[in-house]
Amino acid sequence: MTTVDAREWAGALSEAASKGYVYLDLLTAVDDGDRIDVIARVLDPSTMDAVMLTTSVASEDPLLPSIVASHPAAAWHERETAEMFGVTFAGHPDPRPLILRSVHERPPLRRSTPLVERLATPWPAAVDPAVERRPRRQQLPPGVRTEWVDQP
Amino acid sequence: MTALPRRGVIALIPDDCTSCLICVQECPTWCISLDSHTEQVAEPGARRPRTVSVLDRFTIDFGLCMYCGICVDVCPFDALAWAPDVDYSAASRPGLVQDTGTLASWRIDD
Amino acid sequence: MIEGRTYRVAEAPSLRVQVANLGLACCALEVESAVRMGLLIPEAESDGPAERTVLLVSGTVTEPLVPVVEAAVLSVPGASVMAFGACASTGGPYWDAPTVVNGVDRVAPVDRYVPGCPPRPDALIDALVGRSVVDGGSS
Ligand code: SF4
Ligand code: SF4
Repeated sequence: MTTVDAREWAGALSEAASKGYVYLDLLTAVDDGDRIDVIARVLDPSTMDAVMLTTSVASEDPLLPSIVASHPAAAWHERETAEMFGVTFAGHPDPRPLILRSVHERPPLRRSTPLVERLATPWPAAVDPAVERRPRRQQLPPGVRTEWVDQP
Repeated sequence: MTALPRRGVIALIPDDCTSCLICVQECPTWCISLDSHTEQVAEPGARRPRTVSVLDRFTIDFGLCMYCGICVDVCPFDALAWAPDVDYSAASRPGLVQDTGTLASWRIDD
Repeated sequence: MIEGRTYRVAEAPSLRVQVANLGLACCALEVESAVRMGLLIPEAESDGPAERTVLLVSGTVTEPLVPVVEAAVLSVPGASVMAFGACASTGGPYWDAPTVVNGVDRVAPVDRYVPGCPPRPDALIDALVGRSVVDGGSS
Protein backbone atom coordinates (compact mmCIF):
# COMPACT_ATOMS: atom_id res chain seq x y z
CA MET A 1 0.00 0.00 0.00
CA THR A 2 1.41 3.35 -1.04
CA THR A 3 0.73 6.37 1.14
CA VAL A 4 0.56 9.67 -0.65
CA ASP A 5 0.05 13.24 0.51
CA ALA A 6 -3.50 14.53 0.10
CA ARG A 7 -2.23 17.25 -2.26
CA GLU A 8 -0.77 14.55 -4.53
CA TRP A 9 -3.82 12.27 -4.42
CA ALA A 10 -5.29 13.08 -7.85
CA GLY A 11 -1.81 13.20 -9.41
CA ALA A 12 -0.86 9.80 -8.00
CA LEU A 13 -4.05 8.24 -9.33
CA SER A 14 -3.69 9.74 -12.79
CA GLU A 15 -0.09 8.55 -12.87
CA ALA A 16 -1.29 5.05 -11.96
CA ALA A 17 -3.86 5.27 -14.78
CA SER A 18 -1.14 6.27 -17.26
CA LYS A 19 0.77 3.11 -16.23
CA GLY A 20 -2.23 0.95 -17.06
CA TYR A 21 -4.04 0.91 -13.68
CA VAL A 22 -7.19 2.26 -15.25
CA TYR A 23 -9.77 0.06 -13.51
CA LEU A 24 -11.02 1.27 -10.14
CA ASP A 25 -11.72 -1.70 -7.88
CA LEU A 26 -12.74 0.20 -4.79
CA LEU A 27 -12.58 3.54 -3.07
CA THR A 28 -13.60 3.93 0.53
CA ALA A 29 -12.55 5.51 3.82
CA VAL A 30 -11.57 4.54 7.36
CA ASP A 31 -12.22 6.84 10.32
CA ASP A 32 -9.06 6.99 12.43
CA GLY A 33 -10.33 9.57 14.90
CA ASP A 34 -8.57 12.84 14.13
CA ARG A 35 -7.97 11.85 10.53
CA ILE A 36 -9.85 10.05 7.80
CA ASP A 37 -7.90 7.66 5.59
CA VAL A 38 -9.15 7.34 2.04
CA ILE A 39 -8.15 4.19 0.18
CA ALA A 40 -8.28 3.38 -3.51
CA ARG A 41 -7.45 0.06 -5.17
CA VAL A 42 -6.82 0.19 -8.89
CA LEU A 43 -6.17 -2.62 -11.36
CA ASP A 44 -4.39 -3.09 -14.64
CA PRO A 45 -6.99 -5.13 -16.56
CA SER A 46 -4.38 -6.60 -18.92
CA THR A 47 -2.37 -8.20 -16.10
CA MET A 48 -4.88 -8.02 -13.20
CA ASP A 49 -2.09 -6.47 -11.11
CA ALA A 50 -3.46 -4.20 -8.41
CA VAL A 51 -2.08 -1.31 -6.41
CA MET A 52 -3.51 0.25 -3.28
CA LEU A 53 -3.11 3.93 -2.61
CA THR A 54 -4.04 5.69 0.59
CA THR A 55 -4.03 9.23 1.88
CA SER A 56 -5.16 11.04 5.02
CA VAL A 57 -7.24 14.13 5.55
CA ALA A 58 -8.11 15.92 8.78
CA SER A 59 -11.48 14.78 10.13
CA GLU A 60 -12.34 18.36 11.04
CA ASP A 61 -12.56 19.43 7.40
CA PRO A 62 -11.89 16.45 5.16
CA LEU A 63 -11.26 17.73 1.67
CA LEU A 64 -9.73 15.76 -1.20
CA PRO A 65 -9.60 16.26 -4.97
CA SER A 66 -11.91 13.98 -6.94
CA ILE A 67 -10.23 11.28 -9.06
CA VAL A 68 -13.16 10.97 -11.47
CA ALA A 69 -11.04 12.48 -14.27
CA SER A 70 -8.59 9.56 -14.23
CA HIS A 71 -10.99 6.89 -12.91
CA PRO A 72 -14.62 7.61 -13.93
CA ALA A 73 -15.86 4.64 -11.86
CA ALA A 74 -14.87 6.57 -8.73
CA ALA A 75 -17.91 8.81 -9.21
CA TRP A 76 -20.30 6.61 -7.19
CA HIS A 77 -17.65 5.56 -4.66
CA GLU A 78 -16.81 9.19 -3.93
CA ARG A 79 -20.49 10.07 -3.56
CA GLU A 80 -20.93 7.22 -1.09
CA THR A 81 -17.76 8.11 0.82
CA ALA A 82 -18.94 11.71 0.94
CA GLU A 83 -22.33 10.91 2.48
CA MET A 84 -21.07 8.17 4.81
CA PHE A 85 -17.82 9.78 6.05
CA GLY A 86 -18.36 13.47 5.31
CA VAL A 87 -15.38 13.74 2.95
CA THR A 88 -15.72 16.46 0.30
CA PHE A 89 -14.34 15.51 -3.10
CA ALA A 90 -13.44 18.77 -4.81
CA GLY A 91 -14.24 18.88 -8.50
CA HIS A 92 -16.69 15.96 -8.45
CA PRO A 93 -18.96 16.35 -11.50
CA ASP A 94 -22.15 15.30 -9.66
CA PRO A 95 -21.82 15.42 -5.88
CA ARG A 96 -25.42 14.41 -5.00
CA PRO A 97 -25.85 11.84 -2.20
CA LEU A 98 -25.79 8.34 -3.68
CA ILE A 99 -27.70 6.15 -1.25
CA LEU A 100 -29.08 8.11 1.68
CA ARG A 101 -32.49 9.71 1.22
CA SER A 102 -33.15 11.46 4.48
CA VAL A 103 -30.82 14.08 5.87
CA HIS A 104 -28.47 12.68 8.48
CA GLU A 105 -27.17 15.27 10.89
CA ARG A 106 -23.74 13.66 10.90
CA PRO A 107 -22.14 11.24 8.46
CA PRO A 108 -23.38 7.82 9.65
CA LEU A 109 -20.05 5.97 9.41
CA ARG A 110 -17.99 8.42 11.45
CA ARG A 111 -17.07 7.01 14.87
CA SER A 112 -18.19 10.20 16.54
CA THR A 113 -21.69 9.77 15.11
CA PRO A 114 -23.85 8.06 17.73
CA LEU A 115 -25.81 4.95 16.83
CA VAL A 116 -29.10 6.42 17.94
CA GLU A 117 -30.91 3.09 18.34
CA ARG A 118 -28.13 1.71 20.52
CA LEU A 119 -28.28 4.76 22.75
CA ALA A 120 -32.06 4.75 22.99
CA THR A 121 -32.54 1.01 23.57
CA PRO A 122 -32.22 -0.14 27.19
CA TRP A 123 -29.44 -2.72 27.46
CA PRO A 124 -31.04 -5.82 29.02
CA ALA A 125 -27.85 -6.62 30.98
CA ALA A 126 -28.00 -3.29 32.81
CA VAL A 127 -30.09 -5.04 35.51
CA ASP A 128 -26.93 -6.84 36.65
CA PRO A 129 -25.89 -5.50 40.09
CA ALA A 130 -22.27 -5.97 38.98
CA VAL A 131 -22.89 -3.56 36.12
CA GLU A 132 -24.66 -1.11 38.43
CA ARG A 133 -21.65 -1.04 40.78
CA ARG A 134 -19.25 0.00 38.03
CA PRO A 135 -18.31 3.66 37.46
CA ARG A 136 -20.91 5.32 35.25
CA ARG A 137 -18.80 5.29 32.09
CA GLN A 138 -18.15 1.56 32.41
CA GLN A 139 -21.86 0.90 32.72
CA LEU A 140 -22.25 1.70 29.04
CA PRO A 141 -23.44 -1.20 26.90
CA PRO A 142 -21.08 -2.71 24.34
CA GLY A 143 -20.90 -0.65 21.20
CA VAL A 144 -21.77 2.62 22.92
CA ARG A 145 -18.84 5.06 22.93
CA THR A 146 -18.39 7.36 25.89
CA GLU A 147 -17.98 10.35 23.55
CA TRP A 148 -21.58 9.83 22.36
CA VAL A 149 -22.87 10.14 25.88
CA ASP A 150 -20.60 13.07 26.78
CA GLN A 151 -21.55 14.98 23.63
CA PRO A 152 -23.89 17.94 24.07
CA MET B 1 -33.56 -34.86 -0.66
CA THR B 2 -30.23 -34.99 1.18
CA ALA B 3 -30.12 -34.56 4.92
CA LEU B 4 -28.58 -31.21 5.68
CA PRO B 5 -27.27 -30.01 9.04
CA ARG B 6 -30.17 -28.11 10.54
CA ARG B 7 -30.23 -25.07 12.67
CA GLY B 8 -33.07 -25.14 15.18
CA VAL B 9 -34.14 -22.79 17.93
CA ILE B 10 -32.62 -22.01 21.31
CA ALA B 11 -34.22 -23.67 24.33
CA LEU B 12 -33.80 -23.00 28.04
CA ILE B 13 -33.45 -25.41 30.94
CA PRO B 14 -34.76 -23.09 33.68
CA ASP B 15 -33.58 -25.25 36.58
CA ASP B 16 -29.99 -24.98 35.39
CA CYS B 17 -30.06 -21.20 34.94
CA THR B 18 -28.41 -19.23 37.74
CA SER B 19 -29.52 -15.83 36.37
CA CYS B 20 -25.85 -14.88 35.99
CA LEU B 21 -26.72 -12.69 32.97
CA ILE B 22 -23.65 -13.73 30.98
CA CYS B 23 -25.77 -14.64 27.97
CA VAL B 24 -27.69 -11.35 28.26
CA GLN B 25 -24.43 -9.40 28.22
CA GLU B 26 -22.90 -11.33 25.34
CA CYS B 27 -25.87 -11.35 22.95
CA PRO B 28 -25.01 -9.11 19.97
CA THR B 29 -28.62 -8.21 19.23
CA TRP B 30 -29.67 -7.75 22.86
CA CYS B 31 -32.49 -10.23 22.33
CA ILE B 32 -32.29 -11.95 25.76
CA SER B 33 -33.80 -10.48 28.93
CA LEU B 34 -34.28 -11.97 32.34
CA ASP B 35 -35.72 -11.03 35.71
CA SER B 36 -34.54 -12.65 38.91
CA HIS B 37 -34.52 -12.14 42.65
CA THR B 38 -32.37 -13.50 45.46
CA GLU B 39 -33.46 -15.76 48.28
CA GLN B 40 -31.77 -16.96 51.43
CA VAL B 41 -31.58 -20.72 51.67
CA ALA B 42 -30.81 -22.27 55.04
CA GLU B 43 -28.74 -25.40 54.69
CA PRO B 44 -28.50 -27.98 57.41
CA GLY B 45 -25.09 -27.82 59.03
CA ALA B 46 -24.19 -24.46 57.48
CA ARG B 47 -23.65 -21.53 59.85
CA ARG B 48 -25.21 -18.93 57.55
CA PRO B 49 -27.95 -19.19 54.96
CA ARG B 50 -26.81 -19.26 51.35
CA THR B 51 -27.94 -16.54 48.92
CA VAL B 52 -29.26 -17.95 45.67
CA SER B 53 -30.68 -16.29 42.57
CA VAL B 54 -34.13 -17.36 41.54
CA LEU B 55 -35.14 -16.92 37.92
CA ASP B 56 -38.49 -15.17 37.52
CA ARG B 57 -38.69 -14.72 33.78
CA PHE B 58 -36.41 -15.45 30.84
CA THR B 59 -37.29 -14.24 27.33
CA ILE B 60 -35.68 -14.51 23.93
CA ASP B 61 -36.91 -12.16 21.24
CA PHE B 62 -36.61 -14.36 18.17
CA GLY B 63 -37.52 -11.37 16.04
CA LEU B 64 -34.05 -10.04 16.75
CA CYS B 65 -32.14 -13.29 17.29
CA MET B 66 -29.67 -14.13 14.56
CA TYR B 67 -29.16 -17.67 15.83
CA CYS B 68 -25.43 -17.12 16.30
CA GLY B 69 -25.40 -19.49 19.30
CA ILE B 70 -23.08 -17.30 21.38
CA CYS B 71 -25.45 -17.60 24.37
CA VAL B 72 -25.41 -21.40 24.11
CA ASP B 73 -21.60 -21.34 24.04
CA VAL B 74 -21.05 -18.87 26.88
CA CYS B 75 -23.52 -20.27 29.41
CA PRO B 76 -21.32 -21.74 32.15
CA PHE B 77 -24.16 -23.98 33.32
CA ASP B 78 -25.34 -25.38 29.98
CA ALA B 79 -28.77 -23.93 30.63
CA LEU B 80 -29.25 -22.98 26.98
CA ALA B 81 -29.26 -25.53 24.19
CA TRP B 82 -30.24 -26.01 20.58
CA ALA B 83 -33.61 -27.64 19.97
CA PRO B 84 -34.55 -29.03 16.56
CA ASP B 85 -37.82 -27.09 16.17
CA VAL B 86 -38.16 -24.57 13.35
CA ASP B 87 -38.55 -20.83 13.72
CA TYR B 88 -42.06 -20.01 14.96
CA SER B 89 -43.90 -17.40 13.02
CA ALA B 90 -46.42 -15.08 14.65
CA ALA B 91 -49.28 -12.86 13.61
CA SER B 92 -47.92 -9.95 15.62
CA ARG B 93 -44.50 -8.55 16.45
CA PRO B 94 -44.76 -9.33 20.21
CA GLY B 95 -45.61 -12.92 19.28
CA LEU B 96 -41.96 -13.43 18.33
CA VAL B 97 -40.88 -13.02 21.97
CA GLN B 98 -40.80 -16.41 23.68
CA ASP B 99 -40.81 -16.69 27.44
CA THR B 100 -39.65 -19.23 30.01
CA GLY B 101 -42.49 -21.71 29.54
CA THR B 102 -42.15 -21.95 25.76
CA LEU B 103 -38.35 -21.95 25.83
CA ALA B 104 -38.42 -24.77 28.34
CA SER B 105 -40.98 -26.78 26.35
CA TRP B 106 -38.73 -27.31 23.34
CA ARG B 107 -37.11 -30.71 23.04
CA ILE B 108 -33.36 -30.43 23.20
CA ASP B 109 -30.97 -32.11 20.75
CA ASP B 110 -29.01 -34.98 22.22
CA MET C 1 -44.20 -4.56 -10.89
CA ILE C 2 -43.18 -7.53 -8.75
CA GLU C 3 -43.92 -10.89 -10.27
CA GLY C 4 -45.47 -13.70 -8.33
CA ARG C 5 -44.96 -17.41 -8.84
CA THR C 6 -47.51 -20.00 -7.94
CA TYR C 7 -46.52 -22.98 -5.84
CA ARG C 8 -48.32 -25.99 -4.49
CA VAL C 9 -47.47 -26.71 -0.87
CA ALA C 10 -46.21 -30.31 -0.82
CA GLU C 11 -47.63 -31.21 2.57
CA ALA C 12 -51.00 -29.58 1.84
CA PRO C 13 -51.46 -30.31 -1.89
CA SER C 14 -54.78 -28.50 -2.10
CA LEU C 15 -53.02 -25.28 -1.10
CA ARG C 16 -51.82 -23.24 -4.07
CA VAL C 17 -50.14 -19.99 -3.12
CA GLN C 18 -48.79 -17.24 -5.27
CA VAL C 19 -45.57 -15.95 -3.73
CA ALA C 20 -44.30 -12.52 -4.74
CA ASN C 21 -40.79 -12.60 -3.34
CA LEU C 22 -39.46 -9.12 -2.69
CA GLY C 23 -35.91 -10.30 -2.13
CA LEU C 24 -33.89 -7.57 -0.47
CA ALA C 25 -31.04 -9.64 1.03
CA CYS C 26 -29.91 -13.15 1.97
CA CYS C 27 -33.36 -14.39 3.10
CA ALA C 28 -34.57 -14.15 -0.50
CA LEU C 29 -32.89 -17.48 -1.27
CA GLU C 30 -35.07 -19.52 1.06
CA VAL C 31 -37.99 -19.82 -1.37
CA GLU C 32 -35.67 -21.53 -3.82
CA SER C 33 -34.36 -23.74 -0.98
CA ALA C 34 -37.92 -24.77 -0.21
CA VAL C 35 -38.38 -25.71 -3.85
CA ARG C 36 -35.12 -27.69 -3.90
CA MET C 37 -36.13 -29.50 -0.74
CA GLY C 38 -39.41 -30.44 -2.34
CA LEU C 39 -41.48 -28.44 0.16
CA LEU C 40 -42.87 -26.14 -2.53
CA ILE C 41 -43.77 -27.37 -5.99
CA PRO C 42 -43.73 -24.76 -8.77
CA GLU C 43 -46.95 -24.70 -10.77
CA ALA C 44 -47.47 -23.79 -14.41
CA GLU C 45 -49.49 -20.68 -15.20
CA SER C 46 -51.98 -22.84 -17.07
CA ASP C 47 -52.92 -24.50 -13.78
CA GLY C 48 -55.13 -21.51 -13.05
CA PRO C 49 -55.11 -18.77 -10.43
CA ALA C 50 -53.79 -19.35 -6.92
CA GLU C 51 -56.04 -19.19 -3.87
CA ARG C 52 -54.09 -16.38 -2.32
CA THR C 53 -51.09 -14.18 -2.84
CA VAL C 54 -48.36 -13.57 -0.33
CA LEU C 55 -45.96 -10.67 -0.62
CA LEU C 56 -42.84 -12.08 0.96
CA VAL C 57 -40.56 -9.31 2.11
CA SER C 58 -37.33 -11.25 2.48
CA GLY C 59 -34.31 -9.30 3.59
CA THR C 60 -33.23 -5.97 4.95
CA VAL C 61 -35.40 -2.91 4.41
CA THR C 62 -33.00 0.00 4.10
CA GLU C 63 -34.08 3.61 4.09
CA PRO C 64 -33.56 4.16 0.34
CA LEU C 65 -35.63 1.05 -0.41
CA VAL C 66 -38.76 2.28 1.38
CA PRO C 67 -40.35 3.61 -1.85
CA VAL C 68 -39.65 0.25 -3.51
CA VAL C 69 -41.37 -1.63 -0.69
CA GLU C 70 -44.34 0.73 -0.83
CA ALA C 71 -44.66 0.27 -4.58
CA ALA C 72 -44.41 -3.52 -4.22
CA VAL C 73 -47.23 -3.54 -1.67
CA LEU C 74 -49.43 -1.51 -4.02
CA SER C 75 -48.58 -3.73 -6.98
CA VAL C 76 -50.08 -6.87 -5.41
CA PRO C 77 -53.42 -5.66 -4.06
CA GLY C 78 -55.06 -8.08 -1.68
CA ALA C 79 -51.84 -9.89 -0.90
CA SER C 80 -50.99 -10.71 2.67
CA VAL C 81 -47.65 -9.29 3.69
CA MET C 82 -45.15 -11.64 5.29
CA ALA C 83 -42.09 -10.23 7.06
CA PHE C 84 -39.70 -13.06 6.32
CA GLY C 85 -36.63 -13.19 8.53
CA ALA C 86 -35.15 -11.11 11.34
CA CYS C 87 -34.31 -8.15 9.12
CA ALA C 88 -37.80 -7.80 7.66
CA SER C 89 -39.37 -8.41 11.09
CA THR C 90 -37.30 -6.06 13.25
CA GLY C 91 -34.13 -4.94 11.51
CA GLY C 92 -32.49 -8.08 12.88
CA PRO C 93 -28.70 -7.97 13.11
CA TYR C 94 -28.81 -4.41 11.76
CA TRP C 95 -31.22 -3.11 14.41
CA ASP C 96 -28.81 -0.32 15.35
CA ALA C 97 -27.76 0.71 11.84
CA PRO C 98 -28.66 4.30 11.00
CA THR C 99 -29.74 3.41 7.47
CA VAL C 100 -31.88 0.35 8.23
CA VAL C 101 -35.64 0.45 8.82
CA ASN C 102 -36.39 -1.73 11.84
CA GLY C 103 -39.01 -3.93 10.27
CA VAL C 104 -41.21 -3.75 7.18
CA ASP C 105 -44.16 -3.05 9.50
CA ARG C 106 -42.87 0.52 9.70
CA VAL C 107 -43.76 0.78 6.01
CA ALA C 108 -46.83 -1.42 5.56
CA PRO C 109 -49.06 -3.58 7.79
CA VAL C 110 -47.69 -7.10 8.23
CA ASP C 111 -49.88 -10.20 8.45
CA ARG C 112 -47.23 -12.67 9.53
CA TYR C 113 -43.77 -12.40 11.01
CA VAL C 114 -41.26 -15.20 10.48
CA PRO C 115 -38.16 -15.16 12.69
CA GLY C 116 -34.81 -16.63 11.68
CA CYS C 117 -31.61 -15.34 10.16
CA PRO C 118 -32.49 -16.72 7.72
CA PRO C 119 -35.63 -18.71 8.60
CA ARG C 120 -35.41 -22.33 7.61
CA PRO C 121 -37.36 -23.33 4.51
CA ASP C 122 -39.67 -25.38 6.75
CA ALA C 123 -40.46 -22.18 8.63
CA LEU C 124 -41.69 -20.69 5.37
CA ILE C 125 -44.06 -23.63 4.95
CA ASP C 126 -45.26 -23.33 8.56
CA ALA C 127 -45.96 -19.66 7.98
CA LEU C 128 -47.71 -20.27 4.64
CA VAL C 129 -50.06 -22.86 6.10
CA GLY C 130 -50.55 -20.65 9.17
CA ARG C 131 -49.17 -23.17 11.62
CA SER C 132 -47.95 -21.53 14.76
CA VAL C 133 -47.34 -23.58 17.85
CA VAL C 134 -46.70 -20.76 20.25
CA ASP C 135 -48.77 -18.02 18.73
CA GLY C 136 -51.93 -18.56 20.73
CA GLY C 137 -53.35 -20.53 17.85
CA SER C 138 -53.89 -17.59 15.50
CA SER C 139 -53.78 -19.71 12.42
S1 SF4 D 1 -25.60 -17.67 30.86
FE1 SF4 D 1 -26.78 -19.54 31.38
S2 SF4 D 1 -26.95 -19.50 33.63
FE2 SF4 D 1 -26.30 -17.44 32.98
S3 SF4 D 1 -28.25 -16.28 32.79
FE3 SF4 D 1 -27.78 -17.11 30.74
S4 SF4 D 1 -28.89 -19.10 30.66
FE4 SF4 D 1 -28.80 -18.49 32.84
S1 SF4 E 1 -32.41 -11.94 8.55
FE1 SF4 E 1 -30.26 -12.67 8.37
S2 SF4 E 1 -30.25 -14.01 6.54
FE2 SF4 E 1 -32.12 -12.71 6.43
S3 SF4 E 1 -31.58 -10.91 5.22
FE3 SF4 E 1 -31.22 -10.38 7.38
S4 SF4 E 1 -29.05 -10.87 7.74
FE4 SF4 E 1 -29.66 -11.94 5.85
